[in-house]
Amino acid sequence: MIGNDVIDLVQSRKDSNWRRRGFIPKLFGADEQLLIANSPDPETTLWLLWSMKEAAYKAWNRETKIRKYMPKKLVCTISRQSVSNACGRVVCEGKIYYTETILAPDFIHSIAVSVFSHLDYVIEIEKNEIVKDHFGIPYVAVEGGTELFAASVSNHGRFEKVVAISRI
Amino acid sequence: MNREELIDALKPIIAPYTTNDDAFGKLSENTDFIHDLQINSANLVDIVLDIEEKFDIVIDNPDMERMLNVKAAIDIIESKLQMK
Repeated sequence: MIGNDVIDLVQSRKDSNWRRRGFIPKLFGADEQLLIANSPDPETTLWLLWSMKEAAYKAWNRETKIRKYMPKKLVCTISRQSVSNACGRVVCEGKIYYTETILAPDFIHSIAVSVFSHLDYVIEIEKNEIVKDHFGIPYVAVEGGTELFAASVSNHGRFEKVVAISRI
Repeated sequence: MNREELIDALKPIIAPYTTNDDAFGKLSENTDFIHDLQINSANLVDIVLDIEEKFDIVIDNPDMERMLNVKAAIDIIESKLQMK
């Protein structure tokens, strides 16, 4: 299972007033709220956590086919973070997703997978390689369409990121 | 308020976050916030907060989980208003 989420930081400043009352408590659990509050850069920490949740939700939805707006049921832990990337995991209703995030000056891009080692096989691909099944779930067709690999697409503002697990 | 009045009250709340004007023009109970109106999932919480403020109700987590389309929003507002 794979999911990804990109956030255009210029767009998010236009779209969201994350300082509005109630915004953070509705989306983030107590531990996540502390991470944001204690961060030297709360905006980046908030969108890092949000993109982890979104990427993991896409992987979870791919597996369960269930749709819900349940950000607080996606519980994030950040295990390692530098100025340019972060690693962590997201637990959702007993399932664990492992995440890797790129922190660029103008975007944040998280990838979530259900098997830790698959993080090594994630590649960025072109949108035109994507096919979708009847649930709307994206795959990439290789070998003339005979084999399908799980893929995920995310758009926000100026950015589009398409990722796939290259082999399992 | 009946359901049609609730939809009319919801429209100005939903409009600022909508990116598909065509789907907004045809808004009905069956309209999906994300698939049809292409509302960013980070903005769904703004709709929840705006509904709470406008109707003076509290939308808890289990209700928020269902908040994916106009029908669910109307159902939730109706039931909260009845409990007042």
